[in-house]
Amino acid sequence: MTSSSAASRKALSKIACNRLQKELVEWQVSPPAGFKHKPTDNLQRWVIEVNGAPGTLYANETYQLQVDFPEHYPMEAPQVIFLHPAPLHPHIYSNGHICLDILYDSWSPAMTVSSICISILSMLSSSTVKQRPEDNDRYVKNCRNGRSPKETRWWFHDDKV
Amino acid sequence: MIYYLFDIPFSLLGNQFSLNLLSCQLLLDQLTEWHAVASWTWDAQDETCGICRMAFDGCCPDCKLPGDDCPLIWGACNHAFHLHCILKWVNSQTPQAHCPMCRREWQFKG
Repeated sequence: MTSSSAASRKALSKIACNRLQKELVEWQVSPPAGFKHKPTDNLQRWVIEVNGAPGTLYANETYQLQVDFPEHYPMEAPQVIFLHPAPLHPHIYSNGHICLDILYDSWSPAMTVSSICISILSMLSSSTVKQRPEDNDRYVKNCRNGRSPKETRWWFHDDKV
Repeated sequence: MIYYLFDIPFSLLGNQFSLNLLSCQLLLDQLTEWHAVASWTWDAQDETCGICRMAFDGCCPDCKLPGDDCPLIWGACNHAFHLHCILKWVNSQTPQAHCPMCRREWQFKG
């Protein structure tokens, strides 16, 4: 597992637990198109299968997202990463970290796992080139020891992709 | 039996809610009984709080009873939340919190 915080993180608060149960029920009733939640008995870590949208560079490809929820979700954003292998994308690092503002500075407690998934799929779908971010090697080297992407000071330089 | 149904929207301390007053008058030979039943609901556009996703007619997950102890509060942008929920969000954001729904700077409706 990529996340070192798994063992040390605190249990979900009552609000977090309540909301996640509601989100799970909502997901079962109407899952976002192209996504499949892989059921586990762990409410605090969701593993979600993503299918690249037809007609995009990622059509017929399947990836896995891992979503870890903090104690005070939704006041704090969940940690969202791609499990290995992460899609080739100018905003996705080879260690699975995703450069997407809503996961960090622009998080709002009104967002849900479902809305995050839709944003990530839209980010994949608008890509015109399959390549790693320019600073991939430097960034990944800096992240050894399983550092969380939430500790990164992201610089959102490009909102086109 | 005569029923009276009133629907009275009103505002208290900047909050908006409706009072449904159902009065029932029982007439036999003369007036013998008078029952008044009242219920109220918040006048919010959504049915659930965007933060905790619990019903506005219920309370936030940290409270047991809806009503005075777990009121709704409106922002200047007209989005409503449980007071307890929006306070948790606003207090975690420095220096300026934004509305979870529309991202405008959060200000409590005066």
